[in-house]
Amino acid sequence: MSVGYKSIQWNRQKLIYDLILWASVAAYIAIFMAVTKGIDSNLDIRGVQIRAYGSAAFLLLHVILSIGPLSRLSPKFHPLLFNRRHMGVTMFFLALIHVVGLNLPGLPLKTTGALTWYHDFGNLDPLVSLFVGNSHYGDFIQFPFEILGVGALAIFFVMAATSHDFWLVNLTAPIWKALHMGVYVAYGLLVGHVVLGALQSNRHPAMTVAVGVGLVWIVGLHLLAGSREIKQDKATLSPSDDGFVDVGTVAEIPDNRAKVVTISGERVAVFKYDGKISAVSNVCQHQNGPLGEGKVIDGCITCPWHGYQYLPDCGASPPPFTERIPTFDVRLAGDGQGPVEDQRIFVRAIPNAPGTHVDPAVI
Amino acid sequence: MSTSPNDEFYVNYSKMPSSYRWFLFKVIPLLVIGVVAFAWLLPGIHNQFNSGKFQAQSFDGFLVGEPIPHIIVPRPGNTQAGPAFSRYFLSATNKAGPSQKILDQAGQWVTLKGVLVSRSNLSMVAVQSAEPIDPPTGVAEVRPDEGNALGSYALEGEILDGKCYPGIMKPGHTKTHRACAIRCISGGVPAVFRVQNDGDVMYFLLADSAGQAVNARVLDWVADSIRITGEVTQYDDMYVLKADPEGYERLG
Repeated sequence: MSVGYKSIQWNRQKLIYDLILWASVAAYIAIFMAVTKGIDSNLDIRGVQIRAYGSAAFLLLHVILSIGPLSRLSPKFHPLLFNRRHMGVTMFFLALIHVVGLNLPGLPLKTTGALTWYHDFGNLDPLVSLFVGNSHYGDFIQFPFEILGVGALAIFFVMAATSHDFWLVNLTAPIWKALHMGVYVAYGLLVGHVVLGALQSNRHPAMTVAVGVGLVWIVGLHLLAGSREIKQDKATLSPSDDGFVDVGTVAEIPDNRAKVVTISGERVAVFKYDGKISAVSNVCQHQNGPLGEGKVIDGCITCPWHGYQYLPDCGASPPPFTERIPTFDVRLAGDGQGPVEDQRIFVRAIPNAPGTHVDPAVI
Repeated sequence: MSTSPNDEFYVNYSKMPSSYRWFLFKVIPLLVIGVVAFAWLLPGIHNQFNSGKFQAQSFDGFLVGEPIPHIIVPRPGNTQAGPAFSRYFLSATNKAGPSQKILDQAGQWVTLKGVLVSRSNLSMVAVQSAEPIDPPTGVAEVRPDEGNALGSYALEGEILDGKCYPGIMKPGHTKTHRACAIRCISGGVPAVFRVQNDGDVMYFLLADSAGQAVNARVLDWVADSIRITGEVTQYDDMYVLKADPEGYERLG
């Protein structure tokens, strides 16, 4: 949670996350180049780094795109989710090195990018050559695959540049989220970049199979996770005449946890804690995470994605934090004869303004 | 329903619950194994690494400027069984033809310094300098324009550039190399037609039916699978395929 913005806010888990991430990337590049050298010691391997960095970015993008749906399917993947932005920024830099190379003063790792390698030292500016070298824009098979990569890199740049919470707050979560959905457009562009580029030049079936399996994995995983959400949303509840909706019994909700219901198309998280029931929007204000999959910790609803917290009775983050989410009026109904766990919970369909206090229903 | 004692919940700023930790102990090694596996396998299945060689070298030979800049070099030893000369076409050290300063010395014997770039049986010289010399003695007469007409052929292959293909590019042909080849050929590097028959690869310099360079007219055909029907002429150890680009046919 944040009130001000420091350039970097580290914690131990984030450090471990980044170390594993960067060590894996470094290992991939190092092994890729070492194995290449091992093919033939007389081989000139200049330019092979372009493939190493490009394939590293493409593979990392598959990991990044898998984390979201995997987290929807199992909360055990949340530790991979919370710092996914660092993966995204790392992937952007790998893609950038693939294109423009790496030549920083004082850094021993130097490599030439595809822009210089293929387009420089000629009779046109490399950037101009990039766009006019292959002019078969009207043909599918001959299409200049480089342009698809340029499009993906532009999207990754916008995403990396706006990845900090500063932009998330100032753009607002829905706009930021929509902007970052561009990753799927970028993935499509990159698949095109690889299929119309590397796979046309390299006909080894294993390459085609690998790209195909990656595509099926990403699409399949999203369809699987999405189908669960759709099934839940289809079970939408409609209010009765008094504007309240019967969302189930107290017994259905574990302590300090929530039941998520869809009321008139909106997901609502109904929490049970300290012998009380409160209902809030299921959407975290930070990154629209699923609050209903969160837990009440220290008296606060805690988002499973990044740990943002809200007081259940008012939907406001505890001071000094300022996030606010809509709340819903709740009441319990029962005949007073049976167990309290059999009491039914009713939630008003119309939300209150974000941060509005609502008296919890006492069980 | 009450809280399960194992109702563990992960928050990145709190201690990681044990079930999450054990899960990551299994998942992260799998991811790392995947990283290593891809890094290990991909270089092998790329299998497109150029075997091109570079060697700084000087040549004493007869410099030809038109239509395709090249140098005619006497072959050493007994040449009765084959051509008396080797011909190396020329480029600058970048994606361009030889400089005007070099071409101004065409039609005379020179010592040419540069980098010999070769890949299988295709060799060329990236020229750095040329100094005029006296014609050598004991060498057969040089006849730059005298070739041996081998007849008309329909050949299927791919146009590539004569410099980066034998040079450091990987693979140096097909679509991923198209942009580079276009830069080279439009800059004055000779256009070469690569024809593969089973395991054998042959290279033909391209010229039009009048024997003139075709660089600007073949750019749209570079790196595509095409058929060229034309006359093949052998000049010493260099083969030239003469056909007007308007008659090229795209395959597939």
